[in-house]
Parts: sequence; C-alpha cells; structure tokens
Amino acid sequence: MNDENTDFLYPFIEAQETDATALLTDLASSARAKATESARLQAASLEEWGPEIEAAGRAIAERFAAGGRMYTFGNGGSSTDAETLASLFARPAHGRPLAARCLAADQAVITALGNDVGFDVVFSRQLMAHARPGDIAVALSTSGSSEDLMTALVEARRRGLLTIGFSGHDGGRMAVADEVHHCFTIRSQSIHRIQESQALVGYRLWATAQHHLETLRKGYAS
Amino acid sequence: MSTTYDVGAAPGLIDEDLSADLAGAALALARRFHAGATLWVISPQWEPHAHHVAVEFVHPVVVGKRALPSVALVAADTVAETRIATRPGDVVLAVADAADAAVADVMRRAPAWGAETIWIGYGERPPAGAADHVLWVPTADPMTPATGRFVLMYHLLWELTHVCFEHPGLLKPEEPECTDEVCVTCSDEGRLGEVVAPPADLLSGALVRTADGEEYVDTMVVGEVAPGDLILIHGGAALTRLGEEPGA
Repeated sequence: MNDENTDFLYPFIEAQETDATALLTDLASSARAKATESARLQAASLEEWGPEIEAAGRAIAERFAAGGRMYTFGNGGSSTDAETLASLFARPAHGRPLAARCLAADQAVITALGNDVGFDVVFSRQLMAHARPGDIAVALSTSGSSEDLMTALVEARRRGLLTIGFSGHDGGRMAVADEVHHCFTIRSQSIHRIQESQALVGYRLWATAQHHLETLRKGYAS
Repeated sequence: MSTTYDVGAAPGLIDEDLSADLAGAALALARRFHAGATLWVISPQWEPHAHHVAVEFVHPVVVGKRALPSVALVAADTVAETRIATRPGDVVLAVADAADAAVADVMRRAPAWGAETIWIGYGERPPAGAADHVLWVPTADPMTPATGRFVLMYHLLWELTHVCFEHPGLLKPEEPECTDEVCVTCSDEGRLGEVVAPPADLLSGALVRTADGEEYVDTMVVGEVAPGDLILIHGGAALTRLGEEPGA
C-alpha cells in the first residue's frame, strides 16, 4: 500500500475526501489536547478553590451532623451533574450516606411549576416546600446567571440554608450575590471544560465533608 | 492538606490508545447519524450520565451545532426497553462497568437489532469484542463515576463527532455493500438473530429479529425456542443457540 500523501497535488475538497486516516489522526490528537486542557483547568481550579472547598466542606459536615439535608439543582447538563453530586452524597461507594437529593429529578413537579407559575420558580418553590433552616442548597451553572437558580439561591438564603454555587466563565451573578456563601467559579469559556472541573471540585467538596464528619464523630466520642 | 478520601486531578486523562478509540467511535457515530440513526443511551447504575449524554446531543452547548437524536433509556428493564427502542442502523451507548449484567446483555443482543455499540466504563475491561467501541477509563477507583472522567469522555465523543460532520466525504460507509450472493466475506454464516416468536406450528419457522429486520427462520436443528433466545442463522435456518444469559 502506498502511504505517500499526495493530497497536496489536488485542491482540498472536503466533500470528495475518501481516506479517513488523516481525520482519525486529527481527532485523536484533538482528544488528547482537550483532555490535557481539562486536566490543567481541574488542577488550576483545585489550586484556586482549595481553601474555599475546605471551608464549605466543613460547613456542609456541620449541617449534616446536625440533621440537615442537601438539595442540588441545575439546568440541562448541569441538572444531570447536580444529580450525580446528590447521588455521591446519598449513595457513595464508601463513606457515610447522607440525605441529599436533586430537585430536577421529578418531572411531575418541574412541569407543574413551570406550567402553572413559570420556569423561574421550578427550584425555589420546591425549597419553599421542603427546606428547613439547617439545610444546604447547591446550584450548578456554567454561566452563574440562570434566573431559576438565582431565585432558588435567594429563597434558600432567606430560609437559613447554607448556599453553595458552581459557576463558570466570569462567575456571573452567582459570584457576586450576597446570598451565596460559597461560589466556585471555573475560569474557562468552554462549557464542557467547566463541567469537567465542576465535577472534580464537587467530588473534593464531598471528600472534605466526609473527612470533617469523621472528625466531628471522633470529637463526640472522646 | 490530606484527607482520607484524597484524589488528584489525574494527569494524562486520555492516552494514545484511548484517543484512537475515541476517534474511531466518533467517526462511526457520525456516519450512523448521517445515515439517520438515533443514539440510545443506557446507564443503569449512573442514570444521570445517560441523561447528560442525551441532552448533549439533542441540545448542543455550542451555538450552531446541529441537534442530533439521542435518548436516555432509564426504565427498570434495560434490555426490554432498549430492544423495542432500537432500529437497524441505530447506536447504543452504555455508561457502565464491565460487571453490569443488563448492559452486557444489551451489548450481546445489539448485533441482532442491527445496532452499533459504544461502551464507556472504568475498572476491569469488558471481554474483547463485547462492544464495537470500548472507551475505557484506566483506573479501578470506585469513585470514578463522580469525578468527571465519564463527563470528559462523552464531551470528547460529542466534540469529535461534530468535527466529523465537517468532512461530508468521509461520512459514507467505509466498505461498499456487497450484493453478490456468492461473495465469501458476506455470506450469512453466523448471522445473529433474536427470537421474537416461536413457530406457530410444526411446519412454520420462528419469527426472528436480525440486523436486516424480521424474518422467519427454520429452528428444526436447535429445537424449541422462546422469545429472547439468541441463535446463529445460516441459509435461513438456525444452526446454534447461544448460551444461557441473564435477561433472556
């Protein structure tokens, strides 16, 4: 087989491409480059937010230790990441299972509120029904400015909840809102890379909360 | 600070081999979409990942990228739901570990449904040939599903698939269809079929689903068959029955 590349002899017309080898090589190299950027952003995010993760993780542990519950929420892909985070707290592979659930999970509630009142209240109205002062609200967003999330965070703060936000780009409204106790802004323009870093920061938050729960338990025992 | 549950940002998230696997899966997926496929997504243990993949394709985060048909299948009986959802030419993507019996069963049956398969997971790899494309995170850490490694994997699959659409000349099937009945390479030795209904009487065949659709197959050699049985078909007759498996 002749591997000699003779493409340069012809005008490049994509519709007439027949050999996928070059494309596959480009795709593979692009995948590695994007993964490298993802890892760089994750490391930078952990570096920037390390002390904030520690503080938020400790606050989460204190609330769980006192009987609090966690509510997570987000829109689109972030709603699924919110559900993954709630599952991590509620059903971890190891560690202590905690009362956490995702407010995007029930389509009857979401569509009822969206249809009867408006989409902006799909999460805040649920908090009005369920939340108690010792609970925890966690909002995941890549822009930090979604109306439904901000409405819910404001409602949560009014009710005495610990409020945690995940944001992206420049942080949006979430990063400057007084109602948000801890905001983790992932500094990237790519929604995909933001979500990948948010997942790892969320994981670290869980690990830190688990660690402090153990410490609190030992404190009581001694 | 060190905690009991410490984990770092993993360096080298995607190595050479995995990037090549991703590239191959993306091109195959783009070709299937180009021909009209729907992408069905299953993740019995980690449902949110199935929803994330589906929303990624249906409602792209990058403005201007086309919406593609993808659906998360989250019913309790994964095999039954995927069976009725898929049509020949579709793609089934699973996010699951190799020990997931329902997913393994879907993967075995997919060739009889005419579906191409992509399997994303971590830990011990599924056996060779378990899926058309295996995209495996090389770690045994049980926390992997919650650390963003799967999210990265399907984000990359989405991104690469859309790159392929910029190369319309490469979206046609790689091998020309062979229509010659005596062609050795595509004679129907060992076509996989899944029994839909047993023979109505002694003289008729069983209704069987294959990659080409439904057909009647002589089951004299393999004896009594039941719905869900997997058989190998040659020349219009079932030659062998595949072993017992969960969910049959």
